[in-house]
Amino acid sequence: MAGRVKMEKLLLRNVDKENSHTIDVYLKNGGYQSLRKALKEMSPEDVVEEVKLSGLRGRGGAGFPTGLKWEFAAADVKEPKFFVCNADEGEPCTFKDRVIFEKDPHALIEGMLIGAYATGCRYGYIYLRGEYPIGRKILERAIGEAYEKGFLGENILGTDFSFDLYVHSGAGAYICGEETALIESLEGKRGEPRIKPPFPVNAGYLWKPTVVNNVETLANIPLIIERGGKWYSGIGSPDCPGPKLYPVSGKVKRPGVYELPMGTPLSEIIYEHAGGIVQDRKLKAVFPGGASSSVLTADEIDVPMDFPSLAKAGTMLGSGAIMVLDETDCIVRAALRLIEFFRHESCGKCTPCREGTDWLVRLVRRIEEGEGSEEDLDVILSVSETMENSFCGLGMAAHNPVASSVRKFREEFLTHIELGRCPYRRG
Amino acid sequence: MTLTEFREEVRKLKESNKYPELKSYLLPALWMAEKNFPAITHDVMRVVSEELSVPLVEVEEVARFYAMFHTEKKGKFVIRVCTNLSCMLRGGEEVLSELCRLLNVKPGETTPDGLFTVEEYECMGLCDGAPAVTVNEDRYTNVRLEELPEILRKYGWKG
Repeated sequence: MAGRVKMEKLLLRNVDKENSHTIDVYLKNGGYQSLRKALKEMSPEDVVEEVKLSGLRGRGGAGFPTGLKWEFAAADVKEPKFFVCNADEGEPCTFKDRVIFEKDPHALIEGMLIGAYATGCRYGYIYLRGEYPIGRKILERAIGEAYEKGFLGENILGTDFSFDLYVHSGAGAYICGEETALIESLEGKRGEPRIKPPFPVNAGYLWKPTVVNNVETLANIPLIIERGGKWYSGIGSPDCPGPKLYPVSGKVKRPGVYELPMGTPLSEIIYEHAGGIVQDRKLKAVFPGGASSSVLTADEIDVPMDFPSLAKAGTMLGSGAIMVLDETDCIVRAALRLIEFFRHESCGKCTPCREGTDWLVRLVRRIEEGEGSEEDLDVILSVSETMENSFCGLGMAAHNPVASSVRKFREEFLTHIELGRCPYRRG
Repeated sequence: MTLTEFREEVRKLKESNKYPELKSYLLPALWMAEKNFPAITHDVMRVVSEELSVPLVEVEEVARFYAMFHTEKKGKFVIRVCTNLSCMLRGGEEVLSELCRLLNVKPGETTPDGLFTVEEYECMGLCDGAPAVTVNEDRYTNVRLEELPEILRKYGWKG
């Protein structure tokens, strides 16, 4: 690590403090000063401009410019408007947002308040995945504290700005991380995506203007208001700047969430921050952006972890969840497990996704169990191509781990077919 | 909880004014049912349907859509074992088979004494502690096979 400048902790600045989840600790460390600054010294337009200047792009996976989203929502005149935090962190092997709302929930609440002020939203919901009951308790307690101190409710800090905030628990459905499915679920329906446009900023919850931002995105907002968009835009990759939380799991020595400048090379994250591969084995493959990203081989990991660089490398940043496989892991088995997940989570609304995920499971399982044929590989790629026509992003991306594994590890698939068994399975 | 008590609770929920329209209370109401009944039965759904003015069929389709809602009878403790990729790479499947062996059930089944339901589950966001298991709202990370009996005994397992 010689010569490398260590980045100041920004998003994780509070998480190691004792009782970091309480408002007292948050206030003692300068908490809610950005809200005060926004409400007292800035107009809503100023806030939107500052966020645009920062270059912040959404951290949920799609990477849409946050300032632009806010500008669209602010421009819509329909009332009331809603501000929703997407805390349905469901992408397999993603656990970065959990760190924020369990350890620093007030940073999220402050980010939402500033966003609601900038866009003119009166009510807010944190759509929290059902699998995070501990997070729910922490968030509800934090919201209660914020009401007590006058940061939530009517006439916040003596201004005309009022905002009420609630937690809404999901109940175990990955698809609800897709923003329109999330809105359907908030409305008390099955989580099935809506056609876009109209986009939620114009027609979201109850068809009213609704801003939907990811947890990590919102945790950046107090920093941007405190230190300025220009300062923020100088961190990391120029075209998608800022600090980024990278959750690393699988066969690394130190799994965990690492905060690094956007664009930190994947190899550095794995070998320096996460400590390298368990038992110093050889790295075999990496899914660099969650379960729906295309796999990278050991030769491809010198890539900056940001939106454009990974897109250029034929994969995607997604949630930034890095899943590492070593030389003893079977890529067919890994691809099978991921496509089984997508089959389970497909909402069933559209045919390419509902049928495509099912066929991919059958085909890959057949190969893993030694019953496959070489033709199956072509069928996999053809089914994958058809799935590109799915209704929403789930189906459009679900085939990525399978199709990319077939393309990059074709030999390993062929070995399964020729041997009639999985070469990695003992016994 | 009796159905009458449940109806009262749903009414209280409506009075919270958390949402601007009734149907949005559906997931919170079903969560209340999930936590207070062994199963979200048609009788429970009917109460929700009446109180929220949502057709029964729409209550049922929502109750069946979400993985955490049980429309069939579940055990007092629901054990969820993650076998998604990061947990799989670190032994999640072995944890699942060992749990099933100890409790003599298959994934998805409930023990005859009604104490445990074992579920093979998708990612619960505990991947830095893979393999991960949750028992109701408690979480266990970096789970080793040999500590499973001890975990089960905390919840009244007599094995």
